[in-house]
Amino acid sequence: MMTRLKDVIESLIFVSLEPLNLEKIKSICTEFSNGEIEDAIQELVASYASNERGIQIIQAAGGYLFSTKSEYDQWIRRLLRLDQKSKLSRAALETLATVAYHQPVTLAEISAFRGVDATYSLKTLLQKKLVKITGRKKSPGRPLIYRTSDKFLTYFGLNNITDLPSEEEIIKILDEERLDD
Amino acid sequence: MEEARDYQVNLEVFQGPLDLLLFLIRKKKIDIHDIPIATITKEYLAYLSQKEKINLEREGEFLLIAALLIYIKSQMLLPREIEPDDGDDPRQILVDRLLDFQKIKAASTLLREKEDQQTKIWKRSVPLPTPTTEEMEVVEVSLFELAEAFLSLMKKKEQENVRLIHGKEYSLEEKMKELIERLQEHGYLDFCEYFNAQESIEEALISFFCLLELIKARIVMAIQESLFHTIKVWPTQEAQP
Repeated sequence: MMTRLKDVIESLIFVSLEPLNLEKIKSICTEFSNGEIEDAIQELVASYASNERGIQIIQAAGGYLFSTKSEYDQWIRRLLRLDQKSKLSRAALETLATVAYHQPVTLAEISAFRGVDATYSLKTLLQKKLVKITGRKKSPGRPLIYRTSDKFLTYFGLNNITDLPSEEEIIKILDEERLDD
Repeated sequence: MEEARDYQVNLEVFQGPLDLLLFLIRKKKIDIHDIPIATITKEYLAYLSQKEKINLEREGEFLLIAALLIYIKSQMLLPREIEPDDGDDPRQILVDRLLDFQKIKAASTLLREKEDQQTKIWKRSVPLPTPTTEEMEVVEVSLFELAEAFLSLMKKKEQENVRLIHGKEYSLEEKMKELIERLQEHGYLDFCEYFNAQESIEEALISFFCLLELIKARIVMAIQESLFHTIKVWPTQEAQP
């Protein structure tokens, strides 16, 4: 029987709990050329997106992974006995946005940007592993340096840190708000 | 009752003094680049005086901004010998901070939209988000408990009553490297096992110092699955690439 590359890749993504990146797939499927692999992935992703299926393959944090489709959320929550998936608090979200746009950043810098002490919300974000410590700044007190983590990307469905809402999108939001006032 | 609720609402609405300031500027439909400091200060102080008691710890930051507003006004009122350049508007510091803050707020609105979309999508990697998972029972060990475990191990070692004559000197750096390599290889390290395997008290001591250093730098963490269980040392998530 002929090995179908598409099926191979499908099985690889299936067993991976973390997003599986292209380089990894290439290093495993050595029998196939890069072009073949890329085509097969495209085909696979498309087949999940269009067919009558409850799951799909999404790209997050630089890799591919299976997820459910958003339409079926309410039934999944019934299965898991959850009314609502918990979301980040406003303070945590603003702190996270500060880290995301100003990284690498220290606690003092985050607090200055927000005008309030960010110790508590930063701790929450560390616990949720959305933010990570990447070292210490070579300045007095050697403060810790924070960056967003890969889990941050997966959490917001971003493939890459450059997928963050751009300056233009932010300005657009600000303009809309001004019109609302 | 009523008052208490008002207060809570205020806390909900304003995430800090910059947030309040931005709200006032919008309310008065003022251009952020051209803030009439006196008007806005009056509004700002009015808000602060609404509260009968000022909680210094929480409101300190609000007062700081109030002081900054008044300082800026005074700078603008005082005549100067040399006319400042256009770029020297004392309001500029505040405007810059507000602009940065406004951007962060807008960015978090966008992130919230993404979060909303993503919470409807379920991934296999997400552990079932029930409030009481076994993981929650894992206790991060305090320094005290760690030291206690170490001392009891040391006592055991002394009782072995083996005398070894060694010329070897141990360096913190070498030991630290060894510890990290072991962690990378095995994923975790059993505290008791590891120290029992140490050849001498000196070596065990050095290893313990290393462990403390690594915990302090948040490269590893010491975890006990439950009370009286063995202590395990794991690399922290943050330290992983």
